[in-house]
Amino acid sequence: MSVLKVEHVNYIYGAETAYEIQALKDVSLEIPKGQFVGLIGHTGSGKSTLIQHLNGLIRATSGHIYFQGQDIYGAHYNMKELRSQVGLVFQYPEHQLFEIDVLSDVCYGPKNQGLTREEAEKRAREALRMVGVSEEFYGHSPFELSGGQKRRVAIAGVLAMKPEVLILDEPTAGLDPKGRDDILDQIAKLHQESGLTVILVSHSMEDIAKYVDRIIVMNQGAVMFDAAPKEVFRHYKELEQVGLAAPQVTYIMHRLKERGMDVDTDATTVEEAKEAIVSAWKKKHDSAGNRCENV
Amino acid sequence: MIRDITIGQYYPVDSPIHRLDPRTKLIGTLTFIISLFLFKSIAGYLVATAFLVTVIRLSKVPFKFMVRGLKAILLILIIAMLFNVLLIRDGNVLFDKWFIRITDQGLYTAAFMAVRLTYLVIGSSVMTLTTTPNDLTDGLESVLGPLKKIHIPVHEIAMMMSIALRFIPILLEETDKIMKAQIARGADFENGNLIQKAKNMVPLLVPLFISAFRRADDLAMAMEARCYHGGEGRTKMKPLHYGKNDAGAFVFLLIYLAAILAAKQFWIIV
Repeated sequence: MSVLKVEHVNYIYGAETAYEIQALKDVSLEIPKGQFVGLIGHTGSGKSTLIQHLNGLIRATSGHIYFQGQDIYGAHYNMKELRSQVGLVFQYPEHQLFEIDVLSDVCYGPKNQGLTREEAEKRAREALRMVGVSEEFYGHSPFELSGGQKRRVAIAGVLAMKPEVLILDEPTAGLDPKGRDDILDQIAKLHQESGLTVILVSHSMEDIAKYVDRIIVMNQGAVMFDAAPKEVFRHYKELEQVGLAAPQVTYIMHRLKERGMDVDTDATTVEEAKEAIVSAWKKKHDSAGNRCENV
Repeated sequence: MIRDITIGQYYPVDSPIHRLDPRTKLIGTLTFIISLFLFKSIAGYLVATAFLVTVIRLSKVPFKFMVRGLKAILLILIIAMLFNVLLIRDGNVLFDKWFIRITDQGLYTAAFMAVRLTYLVIGSSVMTLTTTPNDLTDGLESVLGPLKKIHIPVHEIAMMMSIALRFIPILLEETDKIMKAQIARGADFENGNLIQKAKNMVPLLVPLFISAFRRADDLAMAMEARCYHGGEGRTKMKPLHYGKNDAGAFVFLLIYLAAILAAKQFWIIV
C-alpha cells in the first residue's frame, strides 16, 4: 500500500494578483512505503511547492492528497499529527535553529508532540546519533557549530519526531563535496536501517543517481518523468532541454557507443561504468582473437 | 497573512502614474495627506474621493490590492472610532445608558475620521504600489536635498530607507519560511493565551533576528567591497528628471487643492 498518494493536484500561487503563477499542474503520484525517491527539477519547477503539500503546509487549489489512505483535506483530519508523520526538512534547515543548546533544539519537535522532557531527550539523543553528531556537541550552542554540523542538527530535529516519511529539500545545498557525500551517505544508511520512506529533493542528478530507487522529474509544475533512474537517464537529451543533466557517466557511455564500442549505456555510477567498459573491451578482443584463430 | 501588508510592495504594470517622476508622486502624496485634514465638509470628502478614484483608475493597480493594506490598520481604525464615539459628548444625544453616551456629533466625527485614515493609507499605498523602492528613495533624497545645508545626512537617511524597504519582502519571505519550518516541527502559532503565544514566537523570532543580522553583515561587506563611502561625489545611474506628464500631474494637483479649499468655504451649502 502506498504511504502517500497525490491525485490531480493543482496549485496557484498569489491567486488574483499580478504575480499569479500556476506552480503545480495536475500532479498525480503514488509513493509506496519504504521507497527512496528522488525528486528532481530545475529552480522554479514546483518541487518545493509539491513537498509542502505533502505535509499540509500548503493547501492545494484543487485535487486530493491521501496519507495512509486518508484524505488530508477531510473535515476532521488532524494536520498536526500528519506533520509529525511526514517530516519535512526545508532547504538550509540550519536557519530554523533557535535554542540555547543542540540537545534542546532537537527536543523542540518531540516536545511539541506532547512528550515529556525525558522522552523527548531520549528521542533527541537517538536522532543526533543517527545523523552522526557526537555527544560532545550536545551542550554547545547550535550557532557555534560548522555549517555541515548545523545542518545535521537541523535534520535530527525532524528525525526526532519519528516520522514515517522523511522529505529533504536540497539537503546538500551550499555544502562542500565531502559534506555533501557525508550527508547523503547518512541518509541512505538511515533509509536502509530503519526502512524509512525518503523523498530527496535535488537539482543534481549526479548527487542522487546512486542512492534512489526512483526518480521523479518535475518541469514547469508538471511531472515529466517518473521511473527508475536508468530509465530516466535514457532521456538525457530531453533532460538537457529543461536545464537538467544526466550523470556524466551517462554521457561517456553514450559517446562510447556512438564511436562503435558495444557498452551498456544504462550504467550510472563510475563503478558500473568501469564494469561495462571492461566487459565490452573483453568481448571485442575475444571476438578479434577468434577471428585470428579462424585465419 | 503576513503577505497582506501592501506598503512597500511594488505592483508592476505600465501606467501614467507609474511613469511619473518619484518626486512628483512624493509631493502629490504629501499634498493629498495634508489636504485630508483641511476640510470638514461632505463636499470636501467628495472632492477627495473623486481625486483618489481618478488616481487609482489611472494607476491600473486593482483596487482589491490596495484594500489589502487596510487590514493592517483595521485595529487602529476601530479603536480610534470607538474613542471618538464614546468620548465626544456634544451634539444631540442618541443613546444614553450607564456611562455610555452616543451623540450624533460623535458618530459624524468617528465616521469622518475613519474615512480620513482609510484614504491616508490608500493614498500612500498608491505611491508605494506604483513606485519601486529605489525610485522612491531617490526621489526622497532629491526632495529633501536642501536639508543637507543644515547638516542633516539626507543621503544616509535615504540609503537606510531604501535598504529597509528593500528588505521588507525578503524578511517577509524569510518569516514565512521559518514559520513553515517550525510548523513542520509541530509549532503552533495560533492557539493559546497571550503569554503562550508570545512564548511560541521565540522559535520564529530568534532565527529571524539571526538571519537579519547575517544579511546586514553581508550587505555591509558587499557595499564596502564596492568602495561605498557615503553620498559625496556619488553619481546616479538613472538621474531623475521631470517630464511632460509631471507638469500635467502638478496642474491636476493644483486643481484638486483649489477644489478642496473651495469645498472648505462652501461647506454650509452642502
